Amino acid sequence: MQSTDGKGLIKTLKQLLNSLLVPFLAILTAVIVGGLIIKVVGGNPIEAYKGLVQGAFGTSKALSETAVWATPYIFAGLAVAVAFKGGLFNIGAEGQLAFGAVTAALIGYALPGWLHMSLPTYIHIPLAVGCGMLAGALWAAIPGALKAYTGGHEVINTIMMNYIALNITSFLLNGPMRDPNPLNLSARTPEIAASARIPRIFSNPLLRVHWGFILALVVAVIIWWLLWKTTLGFEIRTVGANPDAAKYAGINVKRTIIITMALSGALAGLAGAIEVTALNYRHELGFSMGYGFDAIAIALLGKTNPFGVILAAILFGAMRNGATRMQFLTQIPVDIISVIQALILLFVAADAIIRFVYRIRIRDERVVLTRGWGG
Amino acid sequence: MKRISTIVAVLSVFVMLVTACGPAVTAVPPVVVPPTAVPPVVVPPTQVPPTAVPAITGSDCSKANVFCVGVVTDVGKVDDKSFNQSAWEGVQNSKKDGSADWIQYIETTDSKDYAKNIATFGDAGYKVIVTVGFNLTEPTYAAAQLYPKTLFIGVDQFLSKDATHPDWPLANLVGLVYNEDQSGFLVGALAAMMSKTHSIGGVFGTDAVPPVWRYGEGYRAGAAYEDTKNGTKTTVTNVYHSDVGFDKTFTDPTWGADTANSMIDKGADIIFGGGGKTGNGAVDAAAQRKVLAIGVDTDQYATLPEADAYLLTSAMKPIPQPLENLIKLAKAGQFPTNGLYTGAAGYAPYHDVASQVPANVDAEMQALAKGLADGSIKTNVPPVKPAQ
Amino acid sequence: MDWRRFAIIALVIAIMFGTVVLVGVSQNSPLVIITSMLATTIAVATPLTLGALSGLFCERSGVVNIGIEGMMLGAAFFGWLAAIYMNTIYHEAAMLSMIVGVIMAILTGGLFALLHAVLSITFKVDQIIGGTVINILAAGITGFLNRQMFFGAGSVFGGQVPHTPGVLPRIHIPLLADIPVVGRIFEQQPIAIAAVALVVISHFVLFHTRWGLRTRAVGEHPRAADTVGINVLFMRYANVIIGGFLAGLGGAYFTLESISSFEPLMTNGRGFIALAAMIFGNWTPFGAWAAALVFGAAQALQINLQFFRELIPPSLAFLQNSYVVGLAPYILTMLILTGLIGKTIPPAADGKPYEK
Repeated sequence: MQSTDGKGLIKTLKQLLNSLLVPFLAILTAVIVGGLIIKVVGGNPIEAYKGLVQGAFGTSKALSETAVWATPYIFAGLAVAVAFKGGLFNIGAEGQLAFGAVTAALIGYALPGWLHMSLPTYIHIPLAVGCGMLAGALWAAIPGALKAYTGGHEVINTIMMNYIALNITSFLLNGPMRDPNPLNLSARTPEIAASARIPRIFSNPLLRVHWGFILALVVAVIIWWLLWKTTLGFEIRTVGANPDAAKYAGINVKRTIIITMALSGALAGLAGAIEVTALNYRHELGFSMGYGFDAIAIALLGKTNPFGVILAAILFGAMRNGATRMQFLTQIPVDIISVIQALILLFVAADAIIRFVYRIRIRDERVVLTRGWGG
Repeated sequence: MKRISTIVAVLSVFVMLVTACGPAVTAVPPVVVPPTAVPPVVVPPTQVPPTAVPAITGSDCSKANVFCVGVVTDVGKVDDKSFNQSAWEGVQNSKKDGSADWIQYIETTDSKDYAKNIATFGDAGYKVIVTVGFNLTEPTYAAAQLYPKTLFIGVDQFLSKDATHPDWPLANLVGLVYNEDQSGFLVGALAAMMSKTHSIGGVFGTDAVPPVWRYGEGYRAGAAYEDTKNGTKTTVTNVYHSDVGFDKTFTDPTWGADTANSMIDKGADIIFGGGGKTGNGAVDAAAQRKVLAIGVDTDQYATLPEADAYLLTSAMKPIPQPLENLIKLAKAGQFPTNGLYTGAAGYAPYHDVASQVPANVDAEMQALAKGLADGSIKTNVPPVKPAQ
Repeated sequence: MDWRRFAIIALVIAIMFGTVVLVGVSQNSPLVIITSMLATTIAVATPLTLGALSGLFCERSGVVNIGIEGMMLGAAFFGWLAAIYMNTIYHEAAMLSMIVGVIMAILTGGLFALLHAVLSITFKVDQIIGGTVINILAAGITGFLNRQMFFGAGSVFGGQVPHTPGVLPRIHIPLLADIPVVGRIFEQQPIAIAAVALVVISHFVLFHTRWGLRTRAVGEHPRAADTVGINVLFMRYANVIIGGFLAGLGGAYFTLESISSFEPLMTNGRGFIALAAMIFGNWTPFGAWAAALVFGAAQALQINLQFFRELIPPSLAFLQNSYVVGLAPYILTMLILTGLIGKTIPPAADGKPYEK
């Protein structure tokens, strides 16, 4: 679709605005409906939303916290999105994240001791983060292999792996990996070495945002490039779209399934590893709970597109972050955020509803994710 | 028609920008409902003091003469019918008795937000911030150093002077701690004396949370103590919900009920439910099976009405009273400076079950309570579960 | 599922029971232990069975339903709410209130299912999205309403959770229930009994009636079904709503049969386990029931091994670790799935919206 420069740019901009218009209106509608619900139960929607927005974007500290929230969401959202692109439903991001975190923490606090020497940052950080990715990849590859070779449904196996991961990490954090400091009462690891910590972006101690956030954005771009500009990405997407056609085209479907799950798991593991190395500097039982399930909603909201995932992750992060200020100002229970999130997802996904309400032309493209359900 | 949607879109972006970049609420009087509307404080309707003129709102907290108290809960809500709720009750009481001019709570939904939630109160000029739960120990300590003019009360937060806390005790931080093992000891002793089958059970959240583990082991120790004294042999079985994550371990009443039922099937005739909502499920199930139950943290006679007929007692960790006292002391400028404030251990009254408790058992209970308080009886329960 | 698979599942359950009996025999008689474990197994399996049956009807007609968790949670809350209203505000008898509560729970499940159906069938929204929306929506609405209605100034009940009418009573099956010790198994509450009955009924309906045939046709070859005159959209709507009713009954179990109060998020992932049970059972009622029983038995194993912790012999010391035992149901499921069942075969048109 080449055209003369000026026209082409405007056309691209128009297309971009167009594709953003419906999701934007969807969010707006969800916000309005949410406001009505608040009103019906006796709250003040304006104050509530004011609090929400202030809490998410109002000060530099708020922005920093939103970025902190968005980081694991971006990684985990990408994980689920990549799996969806490959026709697989990875509900196991939660467990893969846990393993990534535990492994990164281990490398972070134990490696200098094992090697009897201190490590420079440029080795320690990549090692910790890389091992976290690897752990996540492995944890996802198992159900991937089961699916490829036995046809075992990845939904069950990843759900099971979540619980198994939970029990194993609980065991580790209460036992061999527990912080031996006698004053420590929690199930957590010792702090990771200073050389394993990803630095913050700003020197202001109040701003927690760290380079992991930038990394998340970069990784999203890499995933985009991987999926649309490489052979592997093509294979993944083809297997996701039509496994039979892929087979006839000569793609090794089994291998691709395993690689897709491994990649997905690596991203989820990355989420956990970054939380450990950039934010908490240790892993503790109870950290990072529920991100794997939020990631499903985020991947869906972002229409399994890496850039969509970034936006969806920032939106969800903003909502989680701003909810506390909303509660502080208005005492409205934070559960309303879940309702609004559900509505957003609903209206974005069922964009036919939005298009009908706002009289926008119905488009025919649809996101299809359940293709892989058929075993 | 598309134009309408575009206009809507542009307008809403404009509105959002204005809102976000608008002045923070604390700088401008809130454009809110008139003072007679429902105050955002969770207070029974009859409690709005008639002298609330001019009405003090949250935005006045930064003023020197306005004494605001904030509560930051752990992951879990103020409606958990025990722990967090007690803390909120104590703070509500301090408003009723006039120590606090304005009270507010923030419920933490993710451990990432601890520091942020505390800072929200700190930045708004609250004079006292109560943080609930041992998970908030470190964030509270850090915040106490960041906000030296604010007073902090950390419920269940034990600290002492060590390498990571060289400045302890801080003048503005007090940890409200309890000897849960003593409360557990008391109810365990009672259970051992009251059990006809000599088999009692305890259903708890995860034993990775030290107070929970102390309750369980105190329960065991109390029963053993009475066994030695009376020559009985009571089987004590504690089951901890350690097989699920922190987000589920205290919020799984169905599991609590299933576990309690399992114990009752095998002969246990007293069930101690110690673990938030999970424990509540156990108490509920026991009451349904017409088996005596024991509550935890607060006198659950009030919070679990469906179990009243069978609620023998509750292992008390009375939070409201000591919290009220601390807030009073804070207001009077007499905040404790030694860093720790120990709340009383105890057990709740028998209420509807009182007729089933023989006089000698009651006398023994009172003697035990005294013995524990003056130190002559020891539970010998370590503060935290030993590493496996 | 064929008999070989059932036999192996029965064997696994027997081994779990046997382990506990061996460990605990010095404290309780084997009969007591077996009865107790059986009781726990049934209790845990009931909501899982109903959830799995719910998923089954939806998916057999071609609609993927991962929103079972949300449906059960919503039903648990609204059913409970109805029972409380009837009992406290309208002062009706406890039994009547609870029956109304169960009906309300069933209807709530149906309502959520209707939403799912509209999204998936009419708007052709991807069914995974529909299910996710229902899960998040249910969690948010129930948590929000629970707070607003019971914990605040101006709340409907003045800040105190009202007295609930209790739980559904146990039904005493004559003769069988009078057997000493074991008889307790034959004293079950209505929803538990209904769950088993519905397994049998579902099997009959799906495989021996015209309705079942049409449902399966619509799930396997909707276009072919359409050409012989079956109304594909109607069949899908109907089956999804039936699935909703079943999930609603499953939800009622939590707040009207197991315990008499509601806690936010109390379903705790059981809807997803139900989904796993359905897949594990290869989309058949008896298979799903067998899977639910395996989970129930595994949880009974976990509880009982902690119960008999002191009695575990040193050679089996690893069983004392609650995390190790906690792993049991999940590893078992994966092993059985891999070893026995291998390729699970869903309905061919599962997940694909039908275009007329």
